[in-house]
Amino acid sequence: MSGRLGVRPAAPAGTGPRLRHAEPVMGTMFSFDLPAAAAAVLPAVLRWLHWVDATFSTYRPDSDVSRFGRGEAGLTDCAPELAEVIGECAALGERSGGYFTDHPGGRFDPSGLVKGWSIEHAAVMLTAVGQLSHSVNGAGDVQCTGEPVPGRPWRIGIADPLIPQALAAVVSGRDFAVATSGTAERGPHIINPHTGRPATGLASVTVVGPRVATADAYATAAFAMGPAARDWVESLDGYEAFAVAPDGQRWQTSGFAAYAAGD
Amino acid sequence: MRRAVLALGGTVAGLILLLSFRSHTAVPAAAGVAPSTATTPTTPATSAAPSTPVPKATKTTGAGTGTGAGGSKVVTGSVISSAYGPSQVAVTLTAGKITKVTILQHTDDGEMSQEIDGPALPKLVSETLTAQSAQIDAVSGASYTSAGYIKSLQSALDKARA
Repeated sequence: MSGRLGVRPAAPAGTGPRLRHAEPVMGTMFSFDLPAAAAAVLPAVLRWLHWVDATFSTYRPDSDVSRFGRGEAGLTDCAPELAEVIGECAALGERSGGYFTDHPGGRFDPSGLVKGWSIEHAAVMLTAVGQLSHSVNGAGDVQCTGEPVPGRPWRIGIADPLIPQALAAVVSGRDFAVATSGTAERGPHIINPHTGRPATGLASVTVVGPRVATADAYATAAFAMGPAARDWVESLDGYEAFAVAPDGQRWQTSGFAAYAAGD
Repeated sequence: MRRAVLALGGTVAGLILLLSFRSHTAVPAAAGVAPSTATTPTTPATSAAPSTPVPKATKTTGAGTGTGAGGSKVVTGSVISSAYGPSQVAVTLTAGKITKVTILQHTDDGEMSQEIDGPALPKLVSETLTAQSAQIDAVSGASYTSAGYIKSLQSALDKARA
């Protein structure tokens, strides 16, 4: 079966027509930029995202996450992906000194990881069937694979959290991820798990690195930490950060410049 | 379907198996997806083929492309339903650059909608122009409250990529 579909490039990256697709799922929007040849496999990826939505939603009382959270179902009664997500949440909680948690506000809610995790899995699915040039953007967290056209890296704008008309920075790269946490659209909504109160120390923080699930979780933890996040991200392997403070001041970690794109 | 998904776990082999279930799906892919989605195959600017028809993916409304005077092209996004009501934008391109973004319709059916639309509309227009001038492929930064508009804008921009 795999011989027919195969793990091989459908076409050299960027040499054919492109497909853009926007999918409303998980209460937000997922945008895809990929070769038109990927049209045949996209529906399976979209179905999987909707399955993740149904399984991990905290808004659906019958979801695995809701039943597990209420203690009505054990891990073995739930989709095995739930155990995978809980394991990753625990590792991220450890690495972030507890600033990332699957119990924000005290109740079980792995949503902080699920979106980035599903963006990453969607990208892995596409790569697994030989699509080597795509970006998957879930509510502003982006996993980029390959390059959009031969010889040009992806260019991802970082929304300015204080000036709606502007981008705060542009980053570029190949096979990398960009995730941003901030208050711009939803107001203070990320809880500092150590105080139980909304974090207000930063206006936004963007984390770049290889994997969007990790970058997204790091961005969430960094936002909860506030200014102290700078030293924390410096200590992490493979990930860099750029932040805008509420007064408009910016900082970035030492390796961020490697991602910064000129205008 | 759920059984199939679960059985595949996270392995590459499993993913290929999963994806191969749908490998026979006809192009455009979105034909059988929910009506609120929009898929638009586009052609890169490097292979200009003006006579190539653009597949009418899931467009159920008056979305499309028109050429105006002076080489301008107007690209109209699909009407997008969101929790805040329908929205639609049109992008005017001159020599491949976005020169204008027009809001064709927006919600006006209640205080809540007004509250959301008020700040959201001018911001959206500005973001479009900024994004174009920076030649970016995507934007990082959460955009939940204006999801409907963002989608409509992306629908228009995706067509503008052609």
